[in-house]
Amino acid sequence: MSEQEIREGMLLAVWDEPPLDFDPDTLIRRVEQKKSRRRALVAVGVATAMIAVASLSLPGLLPRDRDTQLGAETQTSSSSAPTESPERKAQRIGDKLVESLGVRMTNFKELYASFAPGRNPVYPPSATRAPEWKPDEKEYSGFLYLTDGIGPTALQVRVSKKSFSKNAFCGGSTTCQEVKQEDGSVLHSVEQLYDSPQVQQAAVARQFESGLIVEITAYAYNPSNGNGQRETVPVRVGVLTELVMEPGINWE
Amino acid sequence: MRKADEQGFREFAAANAASLRRTAYLFCGDWHTAEDLMQSSLMKMYLAWKRIKDLDNLIAYARKVLLRTWLDEKRRPWRRAEQRDGELPDAADATVDPDTTSAKLWARELVHTALLQVPPRQRAVLVLRYFEDLSVAEVAVAMGCTEGTVKSQTARGLATLRTIVEKLDSSSGRVAS
Repeated sequence: MSEQEIREGMLLAVWDEPPLDFDPDTLIRRVEQKKSRRRALVAVGVATAMIAVASLSLPGLLPRDRDTQLGAETQTSSSSAPTESPERKAQRIGDKLVESLGVRMTNFKELYASFAPGRNPVYPPSATRAPEWKPDEKEYSGFLYLTDGIGPTALQVRVSKKSFSKNAFCGGSTTCQEVKQEDGSVLHSVEQLYDSPQVQQAAVARQFESGLIVEITAYAYNPSNGNGQRETVPVRVGVLTELVMEPGINWE
Repeated sequence: MRKADEQGFREFAAANAASLRRTAYLFCGDWHTAEDLMQSSLMKMYLAWKRIKDLDNLIAYARKVLLRTWLDEKRRPWRRAEQRDGELPDAADATVDPDTTSAKLWARELVHTALLQVPPRQRAVLVLRYFEDLSVAEVAVAMGCTEGTVKSQTARGLATLRTIVEKLDSSSGRVAS
């Protein structure tokens, strides 16, 4: 087979060529469409890439933002603790004490707390007027009002950061006790007879390491008004200890 | 693209589409694929028209693009392959010379059977050398290889083609010349 035969064979091979239906304008239109499609595709790709970058970078920003917000919230909440209104805090503690006392002393009726910032005076028996107090004295204190078989009376509660004097608290009583607690606080308790056969005053004081002092005292009279003298205190040191050690109360 | 450039491309495409399709047919052996190859090549040229419009030999460039397009198409693993599971029998035409018809049928057989069995690059060299009548240098430029490579590919292609044609002739009873 010569080269000439191959050449002729190739020319003969295209003799039955089908008619060509070719329009350059159609081809140009197709190319332009393809170009615009490619541009649109590139635009979509760029947009997708931007979204992807944004979605990747946003988590980097958002948590920081969220942290800031959370931090702010935390700061707010932590700063709100000191800025919590003294009335609200006092009432919160009073409500908890009522709940705790009601569980322990089921014979008590009409339990309620009047617990507010400021020192509540303790009326000496048969006193006719409230004792003087200093206006700058800031304490959380109040009364747990109760009614037992004898009649209405109250327990006195004081939360303060004043210096604690063990001698003053014990008042020379030989029953004064001091017990170190697991959380570092020190529990003082005392029962005073005051030449009476029965306990005239029962008191507990929990001294925290921060310097906070929580005192709950029961008298043989109603300390909220100085009346209601009775033979002995409505609750003894045992109940008072449970109240002052109540885990549900955040004293600090 | 400017109107003048577009008009220049339009004229070039209209003038050379048929010859490009013929060359493509000899490359691939199928008119539909050949038309697709021709159109794809012209589309590529249109996109590059601003850059190539001032070339001295635009048709040589078009052949080069066509060859590359075809070779690219062949390399694709998912390339389209027409399934020829049957061919319509040729209807007898009483008006034509039987000897001429026989020669044409043999030529078609040459393309469909023999040439398509030659490896692609060798086939391309044979088509460009003997159908397009290009010189060795021009084929080398179109194929992007040296002239020596063109010569060796031509020799190998011819040998392969002759072997296949001889086999075809012996099986069909035709005497190879």
